[in-house]
Amino acid sequence: MNKLYLYIFLCVLFMGVGASWVINTANESHDIPIIKKVPNFNFINQNGESFSDNHLKGKITVLDFFFTNCPGPCPIMTYNMKSLYDDFSNSEKVQFVSITVDPKNDNIEVLKNYAKINGITDERWQLLTSDLSNIKSLKREGFMLFADELPQGHAIKFILIDDNQNIRKYFDGTDEASLTILKKDISNLVKELKRYEKRT
Amino acid sequence: MKLFRIFSYLSTCLTYFLIFVGGMVRVSGAGMGCPDWPKCFDRWIPPTDISQLPDYIDPAKFNIVLAWIEYCNRLFGALVGLTITITLVLAYKYYFHIPVIKWSLTVAFILTLIEGWIGAVLVHTILNPVTITLHLLLALIIVMLLLYAAQESYYIENPYAEKNSKYPLNINWAFIVLGASLFIEIIIGTEVRGGLQMLRKENPLLDSNFLLYMLGPFKYMHTILGIVILFLSIFLWVKLVKQSDNPSEVVKQSSALILVLIFLQIVSGEILVFIKVKPIIQLFHLWFAAIIMGLISVQYSAWKKSQIANE
Repeated sequence: MNKLYLYIFLCVLFMGVGASWVINTANESHDIPIIKKVPNFNFINQNGESFSDNHLKGKITVLDFFFTNCPGPCPIMTYNMKSLYDDFSNSEKVQFVSITVDPKNDNIEVLKNYAKINGITDERWQLLTSDLSNIKSLKREGFMLFADELPQGHAIKFILIDDNQNIRKYFDGTDEASLTILKKDISNLVKELKRYEKRT
Repeated sequence: MKLFRIFSYLSTCLTYFLIFVGGMVRVSGAGMGCPDWPKCFDRWIPPTDISQLPDYIDPAKFNIVLAWIEYCNRLFGALVGLTITITLVLAYKYYFHIPVIKWSLTVAFILTLIEGWIGAVLVHTILNPVTITLHLLLALIIVMLLLYAAQESYYIENPYAEKNSKYPLNINWAFIVLGASLFIEIIIGTEVRGGLQMLRKENPLLDSNFLLYMLGPFKYMHTILGIVILFLSIFLWVKLVKQSDNPSEVVKQSSALILVLIFLQIVSGEILVFIKVKPIIQLFHLWFAAIIMGLISVQYSAWKKSQIANE
């Protein structure tokens, strides 16, 4: 009987060691690669103020491209962005940036109104506009996204950018399961950032 | 007949191990490791490289480690399902005339099918907390049914195993209250954990310990019921081991093991609440609870058999 208990104990020990290894490997697998740096840009936000790549420094940013008259995926993207905006409302470290791909229509006034309708009350969510050519080149060269047939042909990606202006990961902005992962990744980056700030 | 007993114990052990693996999937956050069901990224064997993903699946969802953890869970689940099916076939072959064995295995088999379906629902609802709890509870019921059938077949082959033991008569209530309390305790426990998860979803940046604090009353209910379970199991140990004539080895061992495990549960539970929410401790905390549940059913079967044998 004692021998049996010894075997059971060894089995449980083995399971514990195995499970620890699996859990650790799973935790480490959440490391997010650095894809490339966001290039320089200087756009204008819904309040008429300038917003440049410098504003990405020291914050975790989720960025997407949209336009206010968009009938298709944009409302879902805005809805999803809003839920992230609400979820991270207690953190100054997380911000959201939506860049219009229809600057002809989406002037500052229109963006301001869009912000109001969607319950954007503070600076954590920036709606940006610029010249179409600037937007196109930022989208194509800067973020490596399709930009030929704007505004309709805009991408539905949410782009995760870290505090050093590095693009870290792309997410499907209309997919709930992707957003669950995005949320986890944002949290991990914020924790990393906080640890870094504590050290320095 | 011996073959049946081997398979019934085997399927019990494998199901217990599957509960462990399922818990591991949960604590390592691999539940959505495969975003589709039953395939994983539209493949029967998960991708080993991001280039193998089909176009319509967002590559951001792909994490090779999580995909393989979840895949192992499914693969092992299929193996357990197969073992239970074989056990069912053997039960029909050898014990068709014994209703308790036939029916407990039939129900276990049906619940196993439902369990597979719930696995699919879980993926489609992106891990709905209530469904996760249901997934676990069904697994517990299945393992209890398997164990019960195994014990019954053991007593059919050894009808005199409890003949020489005399236990106190009127403790039926204690088994029922203990079993029910433990079942509720496990539900509350999963609620504590599910609640933590919900709070974490809404407050992604808060610390686990702070979230636990936010949970409040649930946590205390879990502790209070834990104390009730502790006293009931001490009571049963006194009755079955100390105040009985010639208690059987099965009863002595299971009663002692229950106490040891409950002690470990208290220690691990306090560590989770007061020191740190550590995934590996969460995993064992749940798994030990499932084992205590099985041991109580072993205790009960033995006690019942001795009542019948001594009538």
